[in-house]
Amino acid sequence: MMARVGIERRPLRFADAALAAWIAILATVTVYGAATTEGFLTVSNMKAILTAASFVGIIAVGLTVIVLSGNLFSLALGQTAAISAMVFLYSLRWGLVAAILFTLVLGLAIGAVQGFAVGAWGANPIIVTIGAAGLMEGMAVWLSHGQSIVPPVDETSWEHLANPVLGLPAPVYVFIAVTVVLAVVMARTRFGRQIYLLGENRTAARAAALPITLLTVGAFGIASLYTAGSGILIGATSANASLLLVGSYTYDAIAAALVGGNAVTGGRGSIARTAAGAIFIATISDMLLLRGYSTGAQILVRGIIVVVVVVLTNLKERTR
Amino acid sequence: MVLEVEGLSKSFGPVRAVRSLSLDVRAGEVHAVCGHNGAGKSTLVKTLVGLVRPDEGVIRFEGEELSLRNPQDAQSHGIALVNQELSLVPELSVEDNVYLGGVDVPLLYRRRRLSEGAREVLDQLGLRHVQLGTPVETLSIGERQLVEIARLLVRDARLLILDEPTATLSKPEIERVFRATRDLVAQGRSVIFVSHRLDEVFELCDRVTVLRDGQRVATHEIQEIDRRSLIEHMLGEMEGVKTMQEHEHAVPGADDTIVRIEGLTVPGSVDGVSLALERGIITGLAGQVGSGTSTILRALGGLVPSATGTVEVQGKRVLLNTPRRAAAAGVLYVPNDRQREGLFLGQAVERNLTVSRLRRLSRLGVLLRRRIRRTARELATMTGVSLERLGSPAGSLSGGNQQKVLLGRALQLEGTALLALDEPTRGVDVGGRAEIHNLVREAARTGTAVIFSSTELDEVLDLADVVVTIFHGRIVSVVPRADASASAILADMTTTQAASRSAAS
Amino acid sequence: MSTGESPLRLRRPRGAELAPFAILAIMIVALALVPVVTQYTVRTANVYDIFQNFASYGLVALALGITIIAGEFDLSVSSMYLFGGMVAVLTGGSSPALGIAAALGAAILVGLVQGGLIAGFRLNSMPVTLGGYLVVLGITYILGHNKSVLYDNFDVGLRLDEPVLQIFSIRSLVSLGIFVVAALVLRYLRVGRDLRAIGGDRRAARVAGVRVDRLLIGVFVVSALGAALPGALLSYSLATASPTNIGFDVLTFSATAALIGGVSLSGGKGGAVGIAAGVLSLSVLQEILAILRSPDYVSSLITGGLLVVVTIVWAPNLSEWFRTARVVRPAEERT
Repeated sequence: MMARVGIERRPLRFADAALAAWIAILATVTVYGAATTEGFLTVSNMKAILTAASFVGIIAVGLTVIVLSGNLFSLALGQTAAISAMVFLYSLRWGLVAAILFTLVLGLAIGAVQGFAVGAWGANPIIVTIGAAGLMEGMAVWLSHGQSIVPPVDETSWEHLANPVLGLPAPVYVFIAVTVVLAVVMARTRFGRQIYLLGENRTAARAAALPITLLTVGAFGIASLYTAGSGILIGATSANASLLLVGSYTYDAIAAALVGGNAVTGGRGSIARTAAGAIFIATISDMLLLRGYSTGAQILVRGIIVVVVVVLTNLKERTR
Repeated sequence: MVLEVEGLSKSFGPVRAVRSLSLDVRAGEVHAVCGHNGAGKSTLVKTLVGLVRPDEGVIRFEGEELSLRNPQDAQSHGIALVNQELSLVPELSVEDNVYLGGVDVPLLYRRRRLSEGAREVLDQLGLRHVQLGTPVETLSIGERQLVEIARLLVRDARLLILDEPTATLSKPEIERVFRATRDLVAQGRSVIFVSHRLDEVFELCDRVTVLRDGQRVATHEIQEIDRRSLIEHMLGEMEGVKTMQEHEHAVPGADDTIVRIEGLTVPGSVDGVSLALERGIITGLAGQVGSGTSTILRALGGLVPSATGTVEVQGKRVLLNTPRRAAAAGVLYVPNDRQREGLFLGQAVERNLTVSRLRRLSRLGVLLRRRIRRTARELATMTGVSLERLGSPAGSLSGGNQQKVLLGRALQLEGTALLALDEPTRGVDVGGRAEIHNLVREAARTGTAVIFSSTELDEVLDLADVVVTIFHGRIVSVVPRADASASAILADMTTTQAASRSAAS
Repeated sequence: MSTGESPLRLRRPRGAELAPFAILAIMIVALALVPVVTQYTVRTANVYDIFQNFASYGLVALALGITIIAGEFDLSVSSMYLFGGMVAVLTGGSSPALGIAAALGAAILVGLVQGGLIAGFRLNSMPVTLGGYLVVLGITYILGHNKSVLYDNFDVGLRLDEPVLQIFSIRSLVSLGIFVVAALVLRYLRVGRDLRAIGGDRRAARVAGVRVDRLLIGVFVVSALGAALPGALLSYSLATASPTNIGFDVLTFSATAALIGGVSLSGGKGGAVGIAAGVLSLSVLQEILAILRSPDYVSSLITGGLLVVVTIVWAPNLSEWFRTARVVRPAEERT
């Protein structure tokens, strides 16, 4: 420590170079793929990519608040989305607005409870969310008697949530809107500022008297709220909801947040990065699909990207 | 001579920590190394165990010239260091810790031979009552220290360096460590004892070497020297500080008490500290590392859940059980470890400067960006941090500037009754230190009370209006600056007798 | 350490080490009470089932437990479990032993890569093993061409599950045997002590001279092996391997079992015997639910709920939070 006194540190640039190289590789592959994949550069395919990116993207930008707060990630997102879709379709019998509000409040509450265990007691976020995922699955089967939930026959208002508006499906607009809102919240509000500080250094945040429990509850609450919102759109789009919807939303959302280059350890990154990450992942998936690659290849590619990005962002952060 | 050090020099940037230093240690002696903070003790110690490579100089041990690259290297030659931060794993048993990391410990290691070996060494160290299977986390600090020493003995350390071993120990524990140390030298091993506590030096050691400003001042047989001349050696020109005093010090006694602390106690660290802090007065807590000064401030900042006692702020009793409560009560704690607990190193300087006043810089939760920028500029100008650096991460600043940012965030805050600064200039160079001191004085002038801790005598004398000396978690003396002398404070900071003296008075 | 002045830690109450066995005892008593309070009977076959369940998941819990003791976590065990089965079925057509060997070999490779990255770059193991989870799952899908693969050698599965002494099978005996070996290694070998050391206080272990990085890589290799082996055996037993993402069922079960078995989430504490007790407790519980013909979701509710509860019990700030705020307390206000 003494040695550093009076010396301004110059960060190493190797990590930057490695990151640039990686981005160049990804860009080349994407451009090459775009040019050579039949049916990729079409308007309808672009719409398909955006739609696919929306569902995951909404979850991922919400999750980003957890990542930025230094609590790694949540492994209960897919379950939260599926349950929200089920709850939404079920509660449509009370009217569209009531169904949306009820589902969102429920989502917020589910996240807030997990956030409280993590923030107030220091419980491990990963394991708490794994447990919560199990609980939610059990509860969903219990309450639904293992059946798919379909909307009430006479109710059609929900269809607007899935229909195209001006040529693009409604979820795309929702994705854009909620991303912008959250980006503004994180950049311009006290809550957002404090989340960054908490994620940067939890010990210092405690000494600086930041409201750690409240912030953590907020981070998990927002992630879960956004996931519930995505669940509503997923439910409206598929008009049929069961636990099968859990699918790969959890991993896709985490992958999007990590691929965007948000530091896993918290404090550094942005909502915009995650949104870009979600679109990137949707693009790659779409391309692989068009080229006839299977589910396996899709998952594999996502995994490799996650590992490489985690290593690279860590190197970069360390040299700062 | 077991150990001979000749012409040792080491610089850190512009700071010359050690200058052509020489030292020799005989076989079978306890050799004390004394010196004021910054005298070069820790650099010397680190060089001997391979943590620091010297720029110049020779280290000869048992006749062999050593060039040490790391602590393992030193250990394989038989030199080992025990410092305050022990390397024991609390969850493991005593025996496991004794053999942890040893090179020649067999793969299948639950053997009677090993257990007997550990038992023997522990008995030697006076740990006869400690079972081999007890988890280390259940032992007292003193016992843990002896377990650490046992590990080194098992690895056949022939020169043990004890760096401030007694700082966190209670009286009976100190006795036990001393007894063990005497037994060790009786076997022909050598011990270097680094300590601030002069009476311990007199009680335990055979010879004493005094360092000052990175150089050796003197080496004496312990019988040839008395306490007074030892302090004089350590202080050197320091006694002049008092007459050189440039700053006016405020005089307490205006009966303008804003914070009253009564019977503050933290088990194992702070023992019934009561203080009345007045508006505009800077109170300096002088104490060695481990004396409890830092814990007192942490407790005020709401960071020590096990603390008891009462605190009144502006006549109202307050509960300081979390940092948030403390801040709400107007007590602002500034941590001593700026890298770990103080700053958000990866975040911009502007964000660091404004972290404690975000509520005032936002409306309905929305940040008022122009006001934030203005406030940050004001604070940066005030603390002397370059305005161009407001956007760069705090971690890219020099140590001195980091410290200014840390202090800056606590300045000019409405509603602050007490500013608690834990070692406000740790690791800061002389120029930066003077600037920081001026900022603290300025803060006091606005009517808040200031309390700070420091292990460094000249800092206490320079900054404090009232000097409170702490030894072993207790107040030894409370003296207005005008009546304080360097030698008296140093004596109080380093002497157990003083503790009993003040208890009687 | 700036807080070097208060190094005393909070200790868990004495007897906490016995908690896993107390829980197991309660479960066994509950099982014994089933015929007393309900119309259902408990047969030897039920005990056999319990050990079969132990065979299927026990080693995963052991593997995960070891990573937690070392202060890390391995999210990839759930896909490694499927991967082990897939590799064994695909390569073990002529010789089942060859299939097992291939599965274990592939697992070692994955473990080396994950451990190497985590130790070499000092990475957080959660995101790395999450990526590993996806990679391994993807490979499993590709190997199986996105569908289940049948194993023609039915005899192998029958032989593995043939009852031994009525309540065991070769499969469960293999698992039990490995648990015994693990218990002995953790208890009597240097490596067991080092494992607890790097989980308890990594800095201290490093300073004391423990080769932390090498050990960490080993931990992730063991973890991969512990997931691949029972996965391979289960696939033989079912005569099929599937890449289907069975979600976190394996992970939830094994994490819950390890934590109930006295493994501390903060690292450094736990052992194979405790983990075995944890696995058996959960297995008995599931068997009770099966005897009572309760629907599947009950088991998933209970396991998920238990995991949340145990995680909160292990949470570092829990006691501090609940402790009455003694700090600088206005004493007179209370009277």
